[in-house]
Amino acid sequence: MKEEVLEADVLCVGGGIAGLMAAIRAGERGAKVIVAEKANTVRSGAGATGNDHFMCYIPEIHGPDIERQAERSIVFLEKASIRTKHYVRTYLEKTFAIAQLWESWGIPMKPTGKWEFSGHAVPGVEMPEYHPLKYAGLNQKHVLTKEARKRGVEIINRVTVFDLLRDESGIIGAIGTGTREDTVIVFKAKSVVLGTGICSRLYPSPTPGWMFNRSDPPSTTGEGRAMAYRAGAELVNMEIPRRWAGPKYFARNGKGSWIGVVRDPANKPVGPFVTTPDKRYGDAIGDYYTSLFEGYMKSGKGPVYMDCRGISEDDYTYMMWGLSNEGNTSLINHLNEENIDIRKHPVEFMTYELSTRGGVYYNEKAETSVKGLYAAGDEYFGGMSGAAVMGWFAGDNAAGYAKNSKGIETDSVASHIEEKKKLLDQIRKREIGATWQEVNIALAQVMYDYAGLVRSESLLEAGLSYVQRLKKKAYKEIIAQNQHELMHCLEVLNAFDVGEAIFISALERKETRDDVVRSDYPFMNPQYNNKMLICKKVGDKPLTEWREKQ
Amino acid sequence: MPPIIDKGKCSACGVCADVCPQDVFWGSEKKQIPVVSYPEECWHCNACVLDCPVEGAIRLRIPFPMFICYQ
Repeated sequence: MKEEVLEADVLCVGGGIAGLMAAIRAGERGAKVIVAEKANTVRSGAGATGNDHFMCYIPEIHGPDIERQAERSIVFLEKASIRTKHYVRTYLEKTFAIAQLWESWGIPMKPTGKWEFSGHAVPGVEMPEYHPLKYAGLNQKHVLTKEARKRGVEIINRVTVFDLLRDESGIIGAIGTGTREDTVIVFKAKSVVLGTGICSRLYPSPTPGWMFNRSDPPSTTGEGRAMAYRAGAELVNMEIPRRWAGPKYFARNGKGSWIGVVRDPANKPVGPFVTTPDKRYGDAIGDYYTSLFEGYMKSGKGPVYMDCRGISEDDYTYMMWGLSNEGNTSLINHLNEENIDIRKHPVEFMTYELSTRGGVYYNEKAETSVKGLYAAGDEYFGGMSGAAVMGWFAGDNAAGYAKNSKGIETDSVASHIEEKKKLLDQIRKREIGATWQEVNIALAQVMYDYAGLVRSESLLEAGLSYVQRLKKKAYKEIIAQNQHELMHCLEVLNAFDVGEAIFISALERKETRDDVVRSDYPFMNPQYNNKMLICKKVGDKPLTEWREKQ
Repeated sequence: MPPIIDKGKCSACGVCADVCPQDVFWGSEKKQIPVVSYPEECWHCNACVLDCPVEGAIRLRIPFPMFICYQ
């Protein structure tokens, strides 16, 4: 395998919205920036083919009282929120500036000519929680890639970073390998920004036997969490699940772009918010009753439909335009091919597969608990503007940190690097063993059966031991015939650490909360209110800790 | 299996292979009509269709399990 050593002030791991925004800002500050991207930044990550809602606070529209806005923000109020008011205030205050930046770069943030808010709303309720600015993000990744390059950012596509380098001072780089070329790259970096996205493929998909039918992109596999965890950084609330909903079997996020009424089989609206389709609102019942589609099926009351019958022509055009910008063009094409007119035919929705809402803990400066390591975007759930704004802060602060940092010396981690190179070599050279698919399916079935929606100490302890046993076996037996398969092998090996952190955290959450039932603790424990659950490795030992949010 | 390339229309520019987030076109050669090496890894995100410079040269075929359930 060809070896290369590259140096940077700021290394962005993942070139999604967060990674590119970090790169753009760090580049502006004069840092030498490298973006290492598994795919191609022009179409990678959860924003690859677009988004149409950007949480945004505009004082002229929403009122000047930002303290009130922060208190009522969904980021502050969300289930098991880890965000302090200070964090939310800092973030909200920046959202409009970033939206204006995007507009100036050519991402249409006011495509109708004005700052327009629609969807995710409830009639008669002022909703500072969401403030969903409707925008046209279809080509956002092309635009952000161009802006990063303008600022001298070096983008290296088709390289997967799979481990961090750390010495006593903190993070000093990372190691990656080509997803096409037989290369191994050692990145010596003064600071690293993680922006690898959500953990897709950790649990089984909505379609048995079809691993890539996912609500989140199957290329985002939670590697940032795994790398951070091994480097000793704090993860937070890993046991809290995250699930989305959308068209049944055509797993695709974007529920908030639909303009219809969620109805049961007798045509009765499931929620109290709307009775006719209206672009101002959509039907927000799915935001407030996230497992409703699954709940109705399980109880026999389903199926549940997104019913757009009665929509005005203007609202229909607006919805299709919104869905296109939300990255749902293939869904629209398929509806057309199948002659399904959603103005006439209600479409069944489902609650999609499990993932984790938790992730790498980072504060309002995008700092993690390890020096030199920053994180943004879906390293911990934050939505589109969360990725954009926190990515910007991550780049700003990582560049500042790098400025004050001395040169990078990686001699102290030479053996670690050698060990990782050996791992790559072994996986590529083994002739007999387990494909990455085998291993991924094995992990997902354990996650589903033992860290699903009903949990208990005995289930979790058994599941944890299976995950740890499978991980050991996988490191010895997994094989790759080429670099593409090697990328998947590394994703799965990293996913074991994410799974382990979920089990360890779930064991510690001795209560029933949100969608997760602990059958041995069938009550919500108010002692956990306003607290977050930290999981981190000290040496090789994983530890958990409850910490006050404020 | 998605995606499907119309060989009569494809200009072999390689944009689809260049942008695919899943790299389903892995192993494609430059200036050749791309090959679909990993069709089962397609997420049907439509990036290849959106960025293809030739109308109709590439399309997605949505697999059976992803059929739309409607009334």
